[in-house]
Amino acid sequence: MTRRLEAASGASVGAPERRFESIPAAARLAAVLIAAAILMSFARGPIAVGQTTLNGLVSAGYLALGAVGLTLVFGTLRIINFAHGDLLTLGAYLTFGISALGLPFWPAAAVAVALTAVIAYALDFIIWEPMRRARTSTLQLFLVAIGLAIVIRYTIQFFAGSQVRGVGQDVLTSVNLGPFHLGALQALVLVVGVVAIAAVGLALAFTRLGKQIRALSDNMALAEVCGIDTRRAVRLIWLIAGGLAALAGVLYAAAVGSVNPNFGFFILLGLFTAAVLGGIGSAYGALAGGIVIGLAQEWSTLFFNTRWKPVVGFAILIVMLLVMPRGIFGGGRARS
Amino acid sequence: MIGRRSLLTAMMAAATAAALLGGLSSARATDQVSLTIGKLLELTGPLSETGPSQDKAVSIAIDYANQSAAAAGVPLKITAVSADAQGDPQAALSAARALVAKGASAIVGPSITPESIAVANGLTIQKKVTLWPTGTAMRLRTIKDEGTIFRTVPPDSLQAYALAAALTDKMGDPKDKLLSIAYRNEPYGEGLAKGLVAAWTAKGGKVQGPVVFDPGQATFDSEAQQVVDNNPDAYVVIDYPDTFAKFGASLVRTGKYDASKLVVPDALAFSTVPSNIPPQALEGARGTRGGSDMSTEAYKLFDQLWTKAGGVEHFALDANSFDSTTLVVLAAAAAHSADAGAIAAKIHDVTRSGAPKFGPTTLGEALKAAWSGEPIDYVGVAGAFEFAANGDPTISRFDIYEYKGGKLDVIKQIDASK
Repeated sequence: MTRRLEAASGASVGAPERRFESIPAAARLAAVLIAAAILMSFARGPIAVGQTTLNGLVSAGYLALGAVGLTLVFGTLRIINFAHGDLLTLGAYLTFGISALGLPFWPAAAVAVALTAVIAYALDFIIWEPMRRARTSTLQLFLVAIGLAIVIRYTIQFFAGSQVRGVGQDVLTSVNLGPFHLGALQALVLVVGVVAIAAVGLALAFTRLGKQIRALSDNMALAEVCGIDTRRAVRLIWLIAGGLAALAGVLYAAAVGSVNPNFGFFILLGLFTAAVLGGIGSAYGALAGGIVIGLAQEWSTLFFNTRWKPVVGFAILIVMLLVMPRGIFGGGRARS
Repeated sequence: MIGRRSLLTAMMAAATAAALLGGLSSARATDQVSLTIGKLLELTGPLSETGPSQDKAVSIAIDYANQSAAAAGVPLKITAVSADAQGDPQAALSAARALVAKGASAIVGPSITPESIAVANGLTIQKKVTLWPTGTAMRLRTIKDEGTIFRTVPPDSLQAYALAAALTDKMGDPKDKLLSIAYRNEPYGEGLAKGLVAAWTAKGGKVQGPVVFDPGQATFDSEAQQVVDNNPDAYVVIDYPDTFAKFGASLVRTGKYDASKLVVPDALAFSTVPSNIPPQALEGARGTRGGSDMSTEAYKLFDQLWTKAGGVEHFALDANSFDSTTLVVLAAAAAHSADAGAIAAKIHDVTRSGAPKFGPTTLGEALKAAWSGEPIDYVGVAGAFEFAANGDPTISRFDIYEYKGGKLDVIKQIDASK
């Protein structure tokens, strides 16, 4: 008990410190990535490197947006939410459903994002909250999450069918930046991704609710004792996680042009990788993790056959976790 | 003691009943053979564009065979059961199990080679059920199938030549021409690309890539960039419709892509380009697919049946599925049985070269001859079938087509074995 208290007080005292610590971490990461880009430019030319960097940042946009919810949920509630990928799918399919009712795509997407956020919250109310009260172990929660993932996926399939579905957005228009090009919707993914994550990160750092969520992630029981309304904080976490997942799903579907009900599940491992690599519980970590994975995968195509691209993400994860066991933004927190 | 005796009596009674029933059913078998053919279709999944046309091809073959059998007085009644392979080996295997459980004595489909391998290894080889896949990949040639896999579709070793011929047809002598190849990471693409590289370099052409892409990627832009790098004279993209919807968009976005330089194989042969594939990715592109000689009476009859039935348009390999079904029916007639193993044993007797030739237009007579026990040589819509030991046919006719206004237009036919 004393050890836990110590750890908790250490962490809460460390909180402002960590914020300062994380700036050099971000700067270090940026320096490493820029140096890598410059080195590669000598080998493969600046245009090829620039283009793959852009492509990598687009992947990073999807990964980071999806990973934020994953990392917040695990960081605070200790749920390895295997159903998170299917929340991406849910967001996209709700958008199709609502736009089939006559709403244009983007307003429909906004409604779908809100709806998915509410569903994520409702799932906490129906499933996760009772489990927390019953003190279910992490492994059991993990298995429940796998089950939930399958339930969501097949429910979507039941209503929408399992066939590939064209989204009908213009995926061909591209933005040219000098010698580089980027799909217009991909550019949107990038902008929205960075803005959304910055907003969540800032809210966590500076708002009262954000501080409460961080207190919760350090020690839920202690936070409760201190008079924090943990239920309200948990509710907010699910709303953020569900909403951002749906946003990632909609943006992915729109920019890629066609999806089937399995796409969220296929992306899920990438999201986990980004979350773990960035440091569990940190919104900026999810962004950093997404960027590292996205860039590493696309850069790898400059040197290796593209068939190795999926392998690269996980190889990076293993190597970086050997070097930085707590992830890029994991700071001083140790996780049992 | 009493219990044991009554058990014994019951067993004896059961054995007698079984013997009687068995006798009855075998007696009935000579009267009427009820054959059930399983359709293992790609109704969902990456090749879902092919499912409806294959479904229709098998159905019209069965209807036509039933009519022909009735007219010729051959006591054969054929019905179909169908299941969705979903583009996934595990799902295909359980779908195949369901088909066999519903009484299927032969299975037409599936279209994807890993599915065929799962179904063959997990079910059909053991049960001696003949499997008639439309997957063209080379890897199917090497499984130890014990004479249960038959393909009425020309293998990709030949399609690779057809692709090379389509390229040469478009741009002349391959000498020093740069060909950029990309494929989806599957046995289909791998086998076909390998064959194409060999065929192209043998004629003095140069090859860039192959760029191999994983279907689960979030973006395909870096891959697409590599395909158009160095401004190649032509590209070949071996892909399924679902990934090409994304990959095609990535190609167009590079800004350096010229669809008229693209040549695609049969998985991307659509009568009408599906709406989720950007039209700019395929307009003016050429392609290959297993073709049937359209001037034959057999093809005319097939096309008539197809039009009369209504519904979906022609798709690659529909004639081949029609032929597969018809061959199963003929073998069942020759075997006087709907037993899967008996059918498997008779396939070579209905495709015996040198025997009297029959075709779809003479199907009634073919059934009669097969029923009487004579070997016959069925020449189908797609051509004559002489199955090699690995179950591959010796046919080699391919269509070369071009996309104009989002529609497929066959511009010529070639014999890829020459």
